[in-house]
Amino acid sequence: MKTAQVIYENGDHRWLAIVRDPDRPEYLIDTNEYVVSVGDDAILLDPGGSEIFPAVFSALCAEFDPRRISKIFASHQDPDIASSLSMWLEFSPDLKCYISWLWAGFVPHFGGAGDTFIPIPDPGMDIPVGRERLRAVPAHYLHSSGNFHLYDPKAKILFSGDVGAALLPSGEDGLFVENFDRHIAHAEGFHRRWMGSERAKRDWCARVGDMDIDMLCPQHGAIYRGEDVRRFIDWFAQLEVGAVKS
Amino acid sequence: MSQAWDTGGELRRIVRINEEIKSVVATAFKINLMAMNAIFLAKRAGQAALGFSVLSNELRRFATDLQQQMEVLRQMTHGSVASVTALVKSERLNRVVDRLRAEVSGQARAIIERYLRTRQTTAFVLHQEAIATQNRRLGQTIADTAQLVELGSVLARSAKIEAAYGGSFSAALMQVSSDFEHTIAEIHRSLELLSRHRD
Repeated sequence: MKTAQVIYENGDHRWLAIVRDPDRPEYLIDTNEYVVSVGDDAILLDPGGSEIFPAVFSALCAEFDPRRISKIFASHQDPDIASSLSMWLEFSPDLKCYISWLWAGFVPHFGGAGDTFIPIPDPGMDIPVGRERLRAVPAHYLHSSGNFHLYDPKAKILFSGDVGAALLPSGEDGLFVENFDRHIAHAEGFHRRWMGSERAKRDWCARVGDMDIDMLCPQHGAIYRGEDVRRFIDWFAQLEVGAVKS
Repeated sequence: MSQAWDTGGELRRIVRINEEIKSVVATAFKINLMAMNAIFLAKRAGQAALGFSVLSNELRRFATDLQQQMEVLRQMTHGSVASVTALVKSERLNRVVDRLRAEVSGQARAIIERYLRTRQTTAFVLHQEAIATQNRRLGQTIADTAQLVELGSVLARSAKIEAAYGGSFSAALMQVSSDFEHTIAEIHRSLELLSRHRD
């Protein structure tokens, strides 16, 4: 069963990571979901696929009251990111979903009506959560053509969607990256194949390299923290992407 | 066609149950700590508080049993969320097939009606029955928990009686046993709320 773990806490400002599902069927990719709460307000980041909704919802309920969630952030349109949207809307019909304007007409096929979606323009936008403002940071073509990450300047945490993802073998199920060199071997194939644009990658590395980040939280695999954040950005900057290796 | 089910309401009910579970777990943790302190106090009081010491040990065991019982309840709500999810998917498919049936005629309509009579409708009914069964089990587990908490109340009352024989420690032991009583009363209140949310 998935578990929800607090990865940041400062007063009533918290980040929860909902990670690792040992009961997940092998044919489904494992995903991380995150909740950022400030006071009575909260946002759910990449809520996950409909197949894992019971695991995510139950894990969250054990740590947090999901009635506080007023909005959802979807980094892009993939089914493992947003196909549980219809379930979340069953639970809370007034939820708003922030997603790239590019996908605002596609994702309603998973659920929701016209007023459910708040399209994010290409340059990004601020998203209010309680008294704080989180920043939707452009990450287009990494891998989706309309793609955003979410930065919390107070917590210094970047939710980085598929960037930083690693497909970890069973047994390597730590919450955080503990051995960068060993970990990154599980990330390499994924980034080479899924990240389609060399130029987008360079832009992202320059943009994110200037940001003050303590934790980089991907949608798959372990969380990078401290020095490993810089190591990851440097590693990604020199990685050849957008090519199928034979 | 199939009867509508308030799946959103069902999920919100599960959340309310989980909120009460968390509250009981936190209170059980508090009782465990209180019981540990009570055991030390009874040890200092010596021979006069032997009975109090036994009851404090029993209260610790009660707190542990209560936490385990809450974990059972939590697992049950996980099963309920899975059934509600399956029901929502089934309902959605039913709606699509219903729309399709309205738009076609002849043999196509006959095929769809056969499908509705068998596979999909059966799946929908099975999911509804699964939820009803889970709710009955949940209700039974809450009732079992109420009995366990009643035992906790009896232990706290007995500790109060034993405190009277605590010699020079009697006042301190009395205070501790009153704290037990008040804390267990909090659990009774949470259980009442849980009972209201069980179906």
